[in-house]
Amino acid sequence: MSSVDETLAFDPSREQRIKLLKGAMPFEPLSDELLGKIADIATTERVAKGAVIYQVGDPAKDLFVIANGQVEHALGPGAEATVLVKVVGRGDVIGWAALLKDRSRRLAKTTALVDCQLLRISGDQLMDVLSEDPEVAQDVLSRWAKMIIEDFTVPRWLAQVKDAPGRGEDGGPQTTSHLSGAALFWYRFSKWLTSPRPYLMLIGFAAFFGSWFVLSEVIHFWRFDNLPGPREVLIEWFNPDPIYGLSIYTPEYYDHIWWSIRRILIAFAIATGLGVPVGLFLGWSKKFREYVFPIFETLRPIPVLAWVPLAIIMFLSVEGPVIFLATLASFYATALNTMLGVESIEESYPRAAACLGASKWQIFRHVVIPGALPYVFTGLQISVGVAWFSLVAAEMVSGQYGLGYVINNSYTNVRYPTIVIGMITLGVVGYISSALIRMLGDYMMQWRVRELALGGQ
Amino acid sequence: MSATAASVRSGAWSRFGHAMNNERVRRAIISVIVFVGFWEIGSRSEDLFGYRFPWIGLIPAPTDVFASFVPLIGDQGYWTSWYQSTRRVFTGFIAAQIVGIPLGLAMATSRLFYNLSFPVFEVMRPIPPLAWVPAAIIFWPTEESSIAFVTFLGAFYVVVINVLGGAKSIDVRYFQSAYSMGASGWDVFRRIILPATLPSIFIGSAVGMGITWEVVVAAEMISGGGGTSGASGGGLGFFIWNAYIGGSYPLIVVGMISIGVAGYVSSSLIRKLGETFTPWRRLR
Amino acid sequence: MNAVRSEGITPMNRQQQPAKEAKGAIKIEKVEKVYDPTGAAVQAVDRCSLDIGAGEICMIVGPSGCGKTTLLNAIAGFHSITDGAIYLDGDMLCGPGKPQAEPGPDRVVVFQNGALFPWKTNLENVAFGPIMQGTMSKAEANEKARDLMATAGLSGTENNYPGEISSGVRRRVEIVRALMNDPKVLLLDEPFRALDSLTKSVMHEALLDIYYKNKVTIFFITHDLEEAIFLGHRVVIMTTRPCKPKKMLEVDIPHPRDYSVLTSQRFRELMEETVEAVHEEAVKAFEAGEKEM
Repeated sequence: MSSVDETLAFDPSREQRIKLLKGAMPFEPLSDELLGKIADIATTERVAKGAVIYQVGDPAKDLFVIANGQVEHALGPGAEATVLVKVVGRGDVIGWAALLKDRSRRLAKTTALVDCQLLRISGDQLMDVLSEDPEVAQDVLSRWAKMIIEDFTVPRWLAQVKDAPGRGEDGGPQTTSHLSGAALFWYRFSKWLTSPRPYLMLIGFAAFFGSWFVLSEVIHFWRFDNLPGPREVLIEWFNPDPIYGLSIYTPEYYDHIWWSIRRILIAFAIATGLGVPVGLFLGWSKKFREYVFPIFETLRPIPVLAWVPLAIIMFLSVEGPVIFLATLASFYATALNTMLGVESIEESYPRAAACLGASKWQIFRHVVIPGALPYVFTGLQISVGVAWFSLVAAEMVSGQYGLGYVINNSYTNVRYPTIVIGMITLGVVGYISSALIRMLGDYMMQWRVRELALGGQ
Repeated sequence: MSATAASVRSGAWSRFGHAMNNERVRRAIISVIVFVGFWEIGSRSEDLFGYRFPWIGLIPAPTDVFASFVPLIGDQGYWTSWYQSTRRVFTGFIAAQIVGIPLGLAMATSRLFYNLSFPVFEVMRPIPPLAWVPAAIIFWPTEESSIAFVTFLGAFYVVVINVLGGAKSIDVRYFQSAYSMGASGWDVFRRIILPATLPSIFIGSAVGMGITWEVVVAAEMISGGGGTSGASGGGLGFFIWNAYIGGSYPLIVVGMISIGVAGYVSSSLIRKLGETFTPWRRLR
Repeated sequence: MNAVRSEGITPMNRQQQPAKEAKGAIKIEKVEKVYDPTGAAVQAVDRCSLDIGAGEICMIVGPSGCGKTTLLNAIAGFHSITDGAIYLDGDMLCGPGKPQAEPGPDRVVVFQNGALFPWKTNLENVAFGPIMQGTMSKAEANEKARDLMATAGLSGTENNYPGEISSGVRRRVEIVRALMNDPKVLLLDEPFRALDSLTKSVMHEALLDIYYKNKVTIFFITHDLEEAIFLGHRVVIMTTRPCKPKKMLEVDIPHPRDYSVLTSQRFRELMEETVEAVHEEAVKAFEAGEKEM
């Protein structure tokens, strides 16, 4: 595996080893005493120039601290790193794959660029030493995590770093996967800041707002003349005493927002309460599907908004039609996506459950429902969007209060900047509602988040 | 393909299909009959029972609806409405494809372009297309063009998102094998990205078609009936609104069903088209 | 489609009769499976007869699409059969009057692509069976699950989700999940197919290890002749579709076995005897371009 020349005199004293280890970033916080123990389990190696220390795919038992020399570290494609080749030198640590759970194979090929002297430390023994002081061990491991993200940009391996010794949920070891959550976020964010992305995003926005501004308020180009410009809108929006009556300082603004949100909440609740069970049964029971689906599919092509007059006739109140329309639209989307979710469950799961003795209802509860959940949540996000879509239309036609009403009303009363305020508010509120659902989904399906993070399936 | 597999396909369709259909069709028919039955009884509940069912009791009965439909078949105005709506849907839809597909592909292929344009796109997306109607009316000179714009918007978002999704999910190994065989960037685009994205484009189109109908109908109802000039416009949305204002309730339902049929036919058309252009997906 | 019909093949010699208790003996009697009988009439299994002793490791080898999975599915209860009967310890699983068996914990399947529930932790997966059947309380099931996982070398992974661990470990968890139910038969449908050969060899030894502790009947489908000879008491080579036993081989290498068997002379002799038969069927299947059934 490695070309080692053990006879030559590279034999640093314990003192020297401790000093070397201390200089390595992950080991910084350790007490000299602990470092001493690590120094004791370390062995020395000498590697000749040009020798390969290890290859991608080799089993990973040890990590190496470079005492002298330079090593070229070339990550293989499996590591998904953005920087593939690095040169590391004195005080750097390589071979950290030895700390990964279950997958301890080398991710990189390391070659000595000159004659090198290394300290070799067994991964298992290192963990044993560290477990004597759990808090410190956690510190070290999170430093590993940061180093991995920063230097080797392979965040998904993070979740597989060996368990930090410490409290877990039912007495088991505490995994670092949530430890690394915060570290991961922070470093992803700082990586993002240093990439060109946020600046391009700003340029994009600037271009958009800039051209809008120039076209409508400066040049008055063609029909843009009639449109309110961004400056006008912003001034009105943040005006304590708005010309047209609606700004963030006026209570009416929030009234209207609340009216719309309230309607969406009711509609969404009813639609989900009906849609998810219906969708589940449509997917699960052939009989149910054959009876119900034809009606469902026949009614579905009728645009929800075509129901407006009928809804007005049916529901004598003012709120009724509005909520009904949003509910209808939302219901279709939820039911359909849920059904698709059930259909997409791999056949082997219910079969396995049947083998293990589960009854039909147990299979429904333990396999069908969790299995369809990812699709259900995607469907719910779509469904909330569709609900907003229909709600706005309904409010524009037959409502009093609400953001749709605001937009329509402002138009008929020639309050143009308010139109845009209404539109932007709608956009923001709509986006937040989708995001909330997505976050709820992520929370409820931890297993999926982790699976996706590890690039599974 | 072996003889066995081929016979599975053709034989299966004729025999197996028929066997399946008997049971399924029967159940479907039963449910439709039950549905219409409830509808009829419910809508006539006041006459039949002296007590009016909530909601259903107020809507026109299926028999009335059918009776109102019959004279319409010969009515020129009715079919003109069909034409108007369909025309709007397709113009908006095609415009959305023409702008949306290249945009989506550009976003998928150029990281730079994506980073510039996607945030703006994402921020605008939650704003429902119908919320744009007043702004569109202010901006565009004619009512027709404002409806077209809003229709375009509705389908546009869906198309772009679907194209992006399709392009992103292309397995990176396709690219790797192409490049290793000496393909140029343009080759890769034409022979890998485009065909691989085609199914998503069509799915996006089918969904976009549904949304387009929604928007067209709403726009017709709003601008045709909402207070501005009612003379121009027309279309099935306007038809429905007019029926409502005029008090001929059964015609409302006729209008609704008409739109439903039109929407279904156009979606099926797109799906069929999609299947012709993506034959490799047929045997899934 | 006209395979030579015979009433079942007498095995070459029967030296090994592994199990002591009569638990998990399967008798497959002239089983036939035709898909879509009134339509395209695709025959997957053609009058196949096979006797598997209790506690025997029976390896089924055959080319892709030959219908061996159909046979497994019939035993498990996922497919019906059109003719013939299958018995387990004398009780009829399926046969005349009862075309499809009921799936149950006496014949648990380990699937090709794995069917650990991704939304449950490993522990929850393993404890699933008894809890569903009501034979144990949750606490009892969890405890037994922990013990079983420990014996299989899986301690420490209890709270992981299947998506977080490697596929080799996943397979072991799935096998343990099956064993929790004290099944009579373990039905394995090419379980190691998706693993790399290094992991596969480790899994073989793990499976044998588990078998030595549990002595269930194992019905194992594979493409890999080496795997078959290494693991099995008996290797049954199936023809291409429609499948029926073409040749049977008694593997008289004594258990317990380890990887040194792979290079033993007896192993090579057995390979030589059978490789030609397997290759013949493989070529036929290749030319027919069959899709996996």
